[in-house]
Amino acid sequence: MRDASLVARIPTQWLRWGVALLLIALALFLWEGSKTFFNLPDYKLPHLAQIGEAFVRPTPQGPVWRVLLQDTLYTGLEAFLGFVLGGISGFLLAALFVHWKPAERGLMPYVVASQAVPIIALAPMIVVGVGRLGAPPWLSKAIIATYLTFFPVTINATRGLKSVDRDALWLMHSYAATRQQIFRKLRVPASLPYLFTALKISATASVIGAIIGELPVGSKRGIGVQIVVGSQYNTFNPGFLWATIIMAALLGMLFYGVVALVERRALHWKQE
Amino acid sequence: MSHIIEFDQVWKIFGAGESETIALQNVDLTVETGEFVSIIGPSGCGKSTLLRLIADLLPPSKGDIRVNGKTPRQARLDRDYGMVFQAPTLYEWRTVLKNVELPLEVMRSAREDKRGRAVKMLDLVGLSDFQNHYPRQLSGGMQQRVSIARALVFEPTLILMDEPFGALDEFTRERLNLELLDIWAETHKTVIFVTHSISEAVFLSSRVVVMTPRPGKIARIIDIDLSYPRNFETRESDRFFELVTEVRETLKEEFTRGEIDD
Repeated sequence: MRDASLVARIPTQWLRWGVALLLIALALFLWEGSKTFFNLPDYKLPHLAQIGEAFVRPTPQGPVWRVLLQDTLYTGLEAFLGFVLGGISGFLLAALFVHWKPAERGLMPYVVASQAVPIIALAPMIVVGVGRLGAPPWLSKAIIATYLTFFPVTINATRGLKSVDRDALWLMHSYAATRQQIFRKLRVPASLPYLFTALKISATASVIGAIIGELPVGSKRGIGVQIVVGSQYNTFNPGFLWATIIMAALLGMLFYGVVALVERRALHWKQE
Repeated sequence: MSHIIEFDQVWKIFGAGESETIALQNVDLTVETGEFVSIIGPSGCGKSTLLRLIADLLPPSKGDIRVNGKTPRQARLDRDYGMVFQAPTLYEWRTVLKNVELPLEVMRSAREDKRGRAVKMLDLVGLSDFQNHYPRQLSGGMQQRVSIARALVFEPTLILMDEPFGALDEFTRERLNLELLDIWAETHKTVIFVTHSISEAVFLSSRVVVMTPRPGKIARIIDIDLSYPRNFETRESDRFFELVTEVRETLKEEFTRGEIDD
């Protein structure tokens, strides 16, 4: 009884931070603990201190963290471009599907097939193909990010645009509303919760897409290139690979966070 | 032209062959301008279908319908009626005020005009203080009031109401009945009101159309000769009870199946 009231009196903000810190401490403990317990060599699982060390090591271009940050930002730009293109094209495709049934029936199998093909197999072809056309190197990465982004958007936006209730639609008919008005004033706002769910999936997928585009030989910039370098020199410099992985993860989280923030603003009418 | 609605031998049949259902059979009905007509019957008697035929949300299978002397389609395109559904059907992403402005937006009214009229309608239904609330912040009764304001805001001559208070508790329903009669007296609209509550139909209407189910037919049209304005005392008058009994007897005679509440 007394304990419960004590916990209840701690501000929620503190409690949340406390739990977060506790989880981090637990993760660090498990990491180092399993390294000792299973006797894992550094190239399989480095010490946490080695990762930290890898971040601050100097290079001719400045400390490693600064180099990685620049590469991460570069990848971020590619991913962002892909995210925007994928979001727009995915939504337009959904709008087409909703207004013209034959399009959905005819094109949907190809849309699904496009996602069933392993992107890792397609990526080098896209990179080489787009490169041959003389396009800048970031474009092929953005295209791969687009490729991974548009699919969840198309699927969810189609569902969302169709999610309008019969009476809500009849209401529009009773006003003799045009198709365009029904789309703008009813279908689009009704689809927003579905759309944001898709965009959150796409946010991280676009980062993955851009990184996959950077993996093939010949790429020069981006966090994906650093991941490749890290895995090649992992035996000599075991902390570095993990440093690149952390940067890539942070980028994905940033994308997700921004979308979640915009969602909160856009859907304020939904939550209390 | 004082006949605002005319049904001439109207049939509505859903499906075909084995699964064919006759929703409305040979319906003849005339409603005069300014009347308050309730349509009552058990579930499946086609009362909502009848309303949707007037609204041009469904086409009739046979027969002729006139609304304001026009085809239902023309009447819809001319925005001759306002519709109130059983669910408030408010757009949850719009504030109360924006919901009431919606029909004016669609109909491309001038901007100042729009705001002013919406505010006036919210005043009429007693929700001036809730303009900037979102629908989820209102009770069911308040939401339905917004929906009534929205149906009135573009000043249609006809209001179609499909069991608008069916989902509300008895107390709220009776209060909204009174408010609706006030609005009706103030705005001189013609109201077609679908309900499955006998007392509600008698209390509100100048005429009650009693329907039978499967196939949906008009059993009888009962004139309600209670004087307006009506109030809480009306519900306790002997004449009110007589009329309620009359409607109930008609319903009982006409069908052996189907459930009637109230």
